[in-house]
Amino acid sequence: MVHFLIGAHAALGEVGAIGFLWVLIELLNPTTTRVRRAKIIALISVVLLFLSWFTGGYYYVNIYGEDVKPIIKEGPQPWVHGIFMETKEHVFLFLPFLALLNSLILKKYEKEIIKDKNIRISVIALCVIIFLLAFAIGAMGYLISSGARAALEANLG
Amino acid sequence: MKVNIKSMSISTILTIILIVFMTIYAELNTGFKDFLKNLFGHHWVAKGIITVIFFILSYFILKNFISDNKKVKEIVAWVIIATILGSLAIFIFFIYEFFI
Repeated sequence: MVHFLIGAHAALGEVGAIGFLWVLIELLNPTTTRVRRAKIIALISVVLLFLSWFTGGYYYVNIYGEDVKPIIKEGPQPWVHGIFMETKEHVFLFLPFLALLNSLILKKYEKEIIKDKNIRISVIALCVIIFLLAFAIGAMGYLISSGARAALEANLG
Repeated sequence: MKVNIKSMSISTILTIILIVFMTIYAELNTGFKDFLKNLFGHHWVAKGIITVIFFILSYFILKNFISDNKKVKEIVAWVIIATILGSLAIFIFFIYEFFI
């Protein structure tokens, strides 16, 4: 039931999200070194979020739909699929684009961002939304796993 | 190559709108959902591929018409508003669809 791709998908996504929290912290009091580091972390985080998309997508299409979804829908918490999985799988699609945009703003305005407060606030605001969205999606993943577990326990009883 | 941030921000907003549209319309119209399924084997895979193609194409079209400047704060604010509203629209739609 527990597939390693779930863990890989969640870990890649959450580490990618934490990467943007790191970027945010670097930009609170930016120096040339901190901005350069933030730029590298943002780029790595973009790659991690795309990898999370591919691993999660492979699991969703090839395993979840066949093996897990029917069990959840017949279990005591069918709403975890009907509401949270459906929301999660679609809202997730926003994340790689937001992350890419943020990383490219940082790359383009690397030199200006220390003095230009508006650019800095823009990147920080995008970091906040990426982080919150990714962790909301992570929480939905937890609910979905709970729904699958509840369905299995109900069948055992 | 210098990235045009304004164009990329608008592409991001349009991509979010497209995702919300495809998500809700596919649930309301089985013909559209089947069309997506037939396109790439699974409706969600189709949504992902269409989204990526749309994002790239819209960026390269928009950057020919929109000049970039350092005032990114306003357009990024719109990106964030689109993200929040898009997320809420999808979430509320699936609550509605599940219970009604």
